[in-house]
Amino acid sequence: MPTMSEHLLQLVALQDLDDMIRETKDQVHSNKLAEMGFEMEGMEDLQAARDELAGGIDKVLLSRYERTVKRLGRAVVPVTGNICLGCFAVIPTAYTSSENQDKILHCENCGRILYWPRGS
Amino acid sequence: MTREELISLFSPDLFIPNLKAKTRDKALMEMVDHAVEAGVIRDREVILGMLKNRESLGSTGLGSGVAFPHGRSLAIPKLMALLAVSKKGVDYGAIDGQPVNLFFMFIAPPVEKDNRYLPALGQVVELIRDDATREKLMALKKFDEFKVLLEGE
Repeated sequence: MPTMSEHLLQLVALQDLDDMIRETKDQVHSNKLAEMGFEMEGMEDLQAARDELAGGIDKVLLSRYERTVKRLGRAVVPVTGNICLGCFAVIPTAYTSSENQDKILHCENCGRILYWPRGS
Repeated sequence: MTREELISLFSPDLFIPNLKAKTRDKALMEMVDHAVEAGVIRDREVILGMLKNRESLGSTGLGSGVAFPHGRSLAIPKLMALLAVSKKGVDYGAIDGQPVNLFFMFIAPPVEKDNRYLPALGQVVELIRDDATREKLMALKKFDEFKVLLEGE
């Protein structure tokens, strides 16, 4: 069974994939890359990878992720310098205590799932 | 983006003068592992997964021996540029089917304040279209040679 930190990394990977799908569908972005010479024809493969990844995520977490995406656009956001980069609220330093290391933490202000790219 | 700004994105810590991998996945792994050792990346698997997903969308090997693995990830706090040279070439599935000897890897966070990711990528793609520059880049042995070369272009 995955640990909480592994669950979080699954959600981070899912967010990356959703961002990639969204960006690829964006005509302005796709045109810029096409002008550089990049072909982007594998949208079906990307969608299949998304389905496979989502299928391996705990259902309760996935449901929360999907609901937050619908409500706020992004469900997982990085924390830099104790600031939630989803809503710019200050995250209490207690969040990074050792007793929280095996928990998925949410911003008290916006409700997004918090991720520390550089560790705590 | 000025040439100085482009050069400043690269660093000796993220230069691999002799990439050992022979296949696409191993090359991506070697470059990401290098960035992990340099302390730029922590969650290796997330970055690797993102790069492989990007390749499934269409090869970033644009031909003439050059590839540009790139993408955005939450697992990177700021834009990262890594340069790698493979003497023997990597079977990368490039669009011309030829082995890849030169890699420019760009990984950006989902949101950037200064939006340098696509301009940097575009500028390097433009740079390597020149045959002479590309050949010089493929022969790089030291990071300083890269800086001198770009400053002179």
